[in-house]
Amino acid sequence: MDHTTADEERILRVWTPIILRTILVGAILLLLFGLLSIGWQSPGYYVGRFHRLQGHVRYQNRESLTLLASTALKGDPRSIMTIGLMVLTLVPLVRVAFCFLLFVKERDGIYVAFTAYVLIGLVAGIILGRVG
Amino acid sequence: MFIMLALLALAAGAGFVGALSGLGGGVFIVPALLIFAHIPMGVAVGASLISVVATSAGASVAFVRDGWTNLRVAMALECATVTGAVTGAYLAGIVPTWVLELLFALMMLQSAYFTVTKVGDSILPHSDALAARLKLGGRVPAESGDREITYGVVNVPGGATLMVVAGLMSGLLGIGSGALKVMAMDYVMHLPLKVSSATSNFMIGVTAGAGALVFLARGDVATVIAAPVALGVTAGALAGSRLLPHVNVQSLRMMFVAILVLIAVEMGWRALSGF
Repeated sequence: MDHTTADEERILRVWTPIILRTILVGAILLLLFGLLSIGWQSPGYYVGRFHRLQGHVRYQNRESLTLLASTALKGDPRSIMTIGLMVLTLVPLVRVAFCFLLFVKERDGIYVAFTAYVLIGLVAGIILGRVG
Repeated sequence: MFIMLALLALAAGAGFVGALSGLGGGVFIVPALLIFAHIPMGVAVGASLISVVATSAGASVAFVRDGWTNLRVAMALECATVTGAVTGAYLAGIVPTWVLELLFALMMLQSAYFTVTKVGDSILPHSDALAARLKLGGRVPAESGDREITYGVVNVPGGATLMVVAGLMSGLLGIGSGALKVMAMDYVMHLPLKVSSATSNFMIGVTAGAGALVFLARGDVATVIAAPVALGVTAGALAGSRLLPHVNVQSLRMMFVAILVLIAVEMGWRALSGF
């Protein structure tokens, strides 16, 4: 009845926590660095953005990845935080990718299909967001 | 600087209460941002989804490591929740705010109902035909700890249907829909409560991640709000989960129910006055 295998044990209980925690800590450091930079360099900018948001019914600020990366490299705190948030949302994607590899390794066709569907769903979400 | 710190504290409080109640920070951070920070619903939902990903990632690592998560149940049901979450997050950009507020009020009432009626396990020894074919059964340590109990799983289609709804609500409202997920696994599929909670926690991150990706790709995430909210909720949830073993949660149950009902009333009122 218990279908947990040795591979599942090793991948789930050893590798997944290490990699997920690394990504999580990386994202949190980026967010902390960005927030501290804003607070230190230009607190007025933060207050201004906050009050502007309060007046909006809907907020939308679509930037290209290239632009975000280049401004982040120049030390722009908002771009650094946006990249931190993106890294954070990678955690579930990486987790599902790990499960996918696990089921491929076990040659478990049904679960390869399930995890592939979830991965496609996550990628479809990005495309839908870009289009919508 | 004061606003940033106030937002961090608000998010930490929501994460703390979310961890103690077992309902997650999303349920509390969205209304907190709306009511106390006067942030629009769309911005609050985007920020909340990301904070749900962060807290779920931290908590579920421990559950998976300790062997409570049923990975096959999670992956089978994720197909349903991700479909719902992507659809919900897409619709969140179209649906009028008053509808979102009304749905939020209804979800709060469902969470309150779940908190009141949550009872023990009704474990079945064997899976039904579909669950057996999908190898969904498992084993958990018995109360005494010296042996293991085998459990079966039933009614996968019923559970999956509720999971589509849970995903839809997650994408629309920025919550993890943990109460609905645990209800589906516990009541409908008859998984042990602790396995349901751990599996739900694993799934919440992926479901919220699906919604968050839509919001991020659409440019609907306001970084200046989402960053302190993610940090605050994570810190609060961490503190709450550390305190959890030392607190009599049963005695706090009625307080959580009262908070949920108050939020439901406030959100319902907002919906009706905005209609």
